[in-house]
Amino acid sequence: MGGASTAKGGSAASSRPSDSNLSAAAAAEAPGPSKYLRGLPSRGLFSSTVISSNPGSMRVWVCEHDTSPPEDQIIKTNTTNILIRALQLSKQRGDPSEKKDVKTRSTVEGNKNKRSSERTSDVSTTAKRAKMTNESASTRLGESSSGPSEIDFQGLTVERLRALLKERSLSVRGRKDELIARLKEGEGDDKEEPKR
Amino acid sequence: MSTWNYVVTAHKPTAVSHSCVGNFTSPHELNLIIAKCTRIEIHLLTPQGLQPMLDVPIYGRIATLELFRPHGETQDFLFIATERYKFCVLQWDVETSELVTRAMGDVSDRIGRPTDNGQIGIIDPDCRLIGLHLYDGLFKVIPFDNKGQLKEAFNIRLEELQVLDIKFLYGCSKPTIVVLYQDNKDARHVKTYEVVLKEKDFIEGPWSQNNLDNGASLLIPVPMPLGGVIIIGEETIVYCSATAFKAIPIKPSLMRAYGRVDADGSRYLLGDNSGCLNLLVITHERERVTGLKMEFLGETSAASTISYLDNAFVYVGSNYGDSQLVKLNLQPDAKGSYVEVLESYVNLGPIVDFCVVDLERQGQGQVVTCSGAFKDGSLRIVRNGIGINEQASVELQGIKGLWSLRSSTDDIYDTFLVVSFISETRILAMNTDDELEETEIEGFDSQTQTLFCGDAVHNQLVQVTANAVRLVSSSSRQLLHQWVAPTGFSINVATANATQVLLATGGGKLVYLEIGDGKLTEVKHVTLEYEISCLDINPIGQNSNYSTLAAVGMWTDISVRIFSLPGLDPLTIERLGGEIIPRSVLLCTFEGVPYLLCALGDGHLFSFLLNINTGELSDRKKISLGTQPITLRTFSSKNTTHVFAASDRPTVIYSSNKKQLYSNVNLKEVSHMCPFNSAAFPDSLALAKEGELTIGTIDDIQKLHIRTVPLGEHARRISHQEQSRTLAICSLKISQNATDETEMHFVRLFDDQTFEMISTYALDTYECACSILSCSFADDTNAYYCVGTAYVLPEENEPSKGRILVFMVEDGKLQLIAEKETKGAVYSLNSFNGKLLAAINQKIQLYKWMLRDESSRELQSECGHHGHILALYVQTRGDFIVVGDLMKSISLLIYKHEEGAIEELARDYSANWMTAVEILDDDVFVGAENNYNLFTVRKNSEAATDEERGRLEVVGEYHLGEFVNRFRHGSLVMRLPADSDSDTGPIPTVIFGTVNGAIGVIASLPRDHYVFLERLQGCLVKVIRGVGGLSHEQWRSFYNEKRTSDARNFIDGDLIESFLDLSRGRMEEVSKTMGVAVEELCKKVEELTRLH
Repeated sequence: MGGASTAKGGSAASSRPSDSNLSAAAAAEAPGPSKYLRGLPSRGLFSSTVISSNPGSMRVWVCEHDTSPPEDQIIKTNTTNILIRALQLSKQRGDPSEKKDVKTRSTVEGNKNKRSSERTSDVSTTAKRAKMTNESASTRLGESSSGPSEIDFQGLTVERLRALLKERSLSVRGRKDELIARLKEGEGDDKEEPKR
Repeated sequence: MSTWNYVVTAHKPTAVSHSCVGNFTSPHELNLIIAKCTRIEIHLLTPQGLQPMLDVPIYGRIATLELFRPHGETQDFLFIATERYKFCVLQWDVETSELVTRAMGDVSDRIGRPTDNGQIGIIDPDCRLIGLHLYDGLFKVIPFDNKGQLKEAFNIRLEELQVLDIKFLYGCSKPTIVVLYQDNKDARHVKTYEVVLKEKDFIEGPWSQNNLDNGASLLIPVPMPLGGVIIIGEETIVYCSATAFKAIPIKPSLMRAYGRVDADGSRYLLGDNSGCLNLLVITHERERVTGLKMEFLGETSAASTISYLDNAFVYVGSNYGDSQLVKLNLQPDAKGSYVEVLESYVNLGPIVDFCVVDLERQGQGQVVTCSGAFKDGSLRIVRNGIGINEQASVELQGIKGLWSLRSSTDDIYDTFLVVSFISETRILAMNTDDELEETEIEGFDSQTQTLFCGDAVHNQLVQVTANAVRLVSSSSRQLLHQWVAPTGFSINVATANATQVLLATGGGKLVYLEIGDGKLTEVKHVTLEYEISCLDINPIGQNSNYSTLAAVGMWTDISVRIFSLPGLDPLTIERLGGEIIPRSVLLCTFEGVPYLLCALGDGHLFSFLLNINTGELSDRKKISLGTQPITLRTFSSKNTTHVFAASDRPTVIYSSNKKQLYSNVNLKEVSHMCPFNSAAFPDSLALAKEGELTIGTIDDIQKLHIRTVPLGEHARRISHQEQSRTLAICSLKISQNATDETEMHFVRLFDDQTFEMISTYALDTYECACSILSCSFADDTNAYYCVGTAYVLPEENEPSKGRILVFMVEDGKLQLIAEKETKGAVYSLNSFNGKLLAAINQKIQLYKWMLRDESSRELQSECGHHGHILALYVQTRGDFIVVGDLMKSISLLIYKHEEGAIEELARDYSANWMTAVEILDDDVFVGAENNYNLFTVRKNSEAATDEERGRLEVVGEYHLGEFVNRFRHGSLVMRLPADSDSDTGPIPTVIFGTVNGAIGVIASLPRDHYVFLERLQGCLVKVIRGVGGLSHEQWRSFYNEKRTSDARNFIDGDLIESFLDLSRGRMEEVSKTMGVAVEELCKKVEELTRLH
């Protein structure tokens, strides 16, 4: 009966750091739990010699005020099917492989830089064509894997580019071209690889 | 017709499922928050201990409870998720002292299989998201934005289908969960995932660990700087992180709860299912974990939650026994335990069975429950009202008055007890051996009846007799001064406090005296138009020695009047109406609010709010306490003043939450009472009753009184036998030796007064008692206990063999008279037409009690009825049999005498998995099912077609939110002779007991009464809001896996009764929409509160 959701005792607020040095104490003293029970955290509560806890006579809360949450804080679940959502996301992103594997990409970045810049001219048309013909994600995936960085950036929305910039802690201002330029620049700096 | 029902909680759930500690009510206050099924309790941690703050009802069964602190907040927020897939985030508003809803929502999904292992709700330690595991294969994420606001939730597919536990890891740059799961080969593993909010997906986490202990069940995330997670198994404990792996073996045990001790996570408390409390220590050098250590500390109740409070104090919450406040000591006690239990908080849960008995034979029901599980098993005697524990008593006939006196003004203890008779006064005193013996106060007139006696200032005593007021020195005991009544007039009634005397003589003369040092001064006298019947000058103002008001009750015009002192100027006249004279008036304060109480000669009591400055009376209420004249006196218990109303139904009047409450006292008749706080009998009362003077202490003043009889084993069934004055229980003891556990079942006999175990019958190996009944048979006057058993063999799915054992109590011993083998488990036994009706697996079987030869008798099978899955619960009425089936709801059978056969009459065709049934009246039956719902069905005997007659119509549905184990007819309160003000007559009630230790009452109301209350409920829902924005309507709607439908023909009594807790303004609001006066509403609701 719902018993498996276990107790959460540990969510206490931060207390004063325990002043016990356990490993040091452990070495010095006799066996038994005593040595481990030293220096239990205390914030001065339960310090009276007479502890009186009267469990009875608790005020019963009668809620007379409005309890509806702020308007935007009535939380609903996104009802999109997980699969469809994944497809939509990858479409938005342009390339599912980009996010998945940032590290791998950055290692090959240097080699591909040159080739990508060569392709710059036809990027926009590719992206447009992709949109117009509504190509499936899989075909675009194949295409973009050949030249990731440049095409990626062009294919992404401004919002997304800004997010990427933010991740790299760069300025998020300016037009799309500027953003892409900054991204490319940043990427180069990050890698500290010779540009050629 | 019992179609219209009122459901109310008489005893709130007490089983504790969750607890947590944090700064909830203020940034500087530390709180302990406890979840008890449908309520949360907020306590404050103080240097003196736990201070209760608030008890908050929640419209839902609490599934998870967590405190967390979003960025930039100074206080913790409380996250609550309910089992019906609602959640809310609560914040305590310090300024308004209100619980504010920060967010709420519905986290249910249209598809998805609810998890088998319970719902999991966790919050990222860096407060980036809330994670919920509610359905197999889905992980729900509610993200926070950077302002701490919640955003739209989404699901992530989780590959692991059998999840045992999920926790967030500390110190990860991306929110990371660690999942403990079981694969399809039943091996257990942990795996980590990072939650990528942008992608709304998981990516593989930093590490995983395969093939753990097969009993691994609990994860404990370790805070930074150590990080990682502890995995608790049955035989090993493992610390695991990306860089380290440490394991230690432990004594085999099932850990159920943990509590973190240090903020850095180096020590944890672990509690297992047998109540052992252990300390788990992570030894480490700087940030490198070097090992684990586990130390046994001591025994507590089996913990369901552990919260380290402060300064070595720990709260241990329990489902199975009393929750406890314990202290961890550095040095072990004599038994080697480091745990000292300082406080136990009563928990009745799980109430497996109970019976309603009248142990004190006063017409008042008491409930005896089988409570607690395993080693925490106990019997609990739950009684409404207050007990007097007799300390001493003497036989004394004809007591007319009782007063206690001190030997000097500043003495804290009372020394003398003045007992007045019709023509003499005797003085009792404590002697040096702490015995009461008769003594003398020379200055008192002991040859006549005393009307009043009391302590006065300047070490003086006052005695009022029919002809004089005598002032006596308490040191020399000599008469100092006296005031003699004018010739021709004798004093009828008198009262006094430390500095004032008020008396009335014949002819309506009211005389006011003041007490000086060795002197009585007549200050004022007035003549009233009628004779005076009673008066009072109990000081309730600032000065505890001097009253500015006097209350006077009158003959003839049946009024109560307020006069000012010392002027004796009339302030108020309140006519009581009727023809019964007031016999006792009392000025008193409850929780700082002044009241005037006035008791009549016929056992009725008026209560008024009193304006202490103007003497005005308001808020008049009348209730019936008994049938004989009442004498009112104040007394204190635990530093609070209460009022004792002595009459044929003695009652204590007290106040809680600014509500006046009346609790009857477990004594038959008390004519006089006075507080008697002597050194030998501290905090005691002296009571004059039925030719006896008794000195006794009084229980804590609370509505329900619970007495515990610990058993140390698990009681499962109980029955009471009036004739032998015994209780019999079926119990189960698990004994553990070095290698394995063995289960033994017993039938045990207890004395119903002392609760001493007087006899035991051990059942066979593998035999388990399933039912017990006290009954007698046709043509046999003896009373028997019948016990139904089952042989639970490990290789069988359903028992195929059982026994019915018939016992008789002889010389306080259980004697086995007869036994009968059955072809299955005997789930239920009922007395039926002088025969025995048993439910055996899928069959209902009727047995006759037949003479075998001259002396012995046996059970003979008469007839039976097949056609159930498992007939678990059976109730009978006349020739009708109501069966609650394992999964086929309720069916109605009839026994046909002529044919000697049992036939099915009708059934409910819904698929309800039953947990209890009861017959409300000839036509209506109530059932409880395993989704915490109640429902009623009605026999359709007037229907036109056979088909319709064969169907039990579902007439009422209600979500109780509690798992009911048993219904019993009966009442917890004394049934008063029909109240003159309410023409309803006695309302039939059924009591139920639940797994979480709640006791409730179902009262069947007349239709118009029900309609009225339904309307009131409708109005209250608009005024009393659900905490966290949860809806009352949704909460009470019938709900199971298949359908949800609105509650009908049940009223939520808890909501109705909270009307009395509303502020006056809100009450008026309700009264306006109802079109009924507030007083009228209060009266109606108060009447209902007296049902339990």
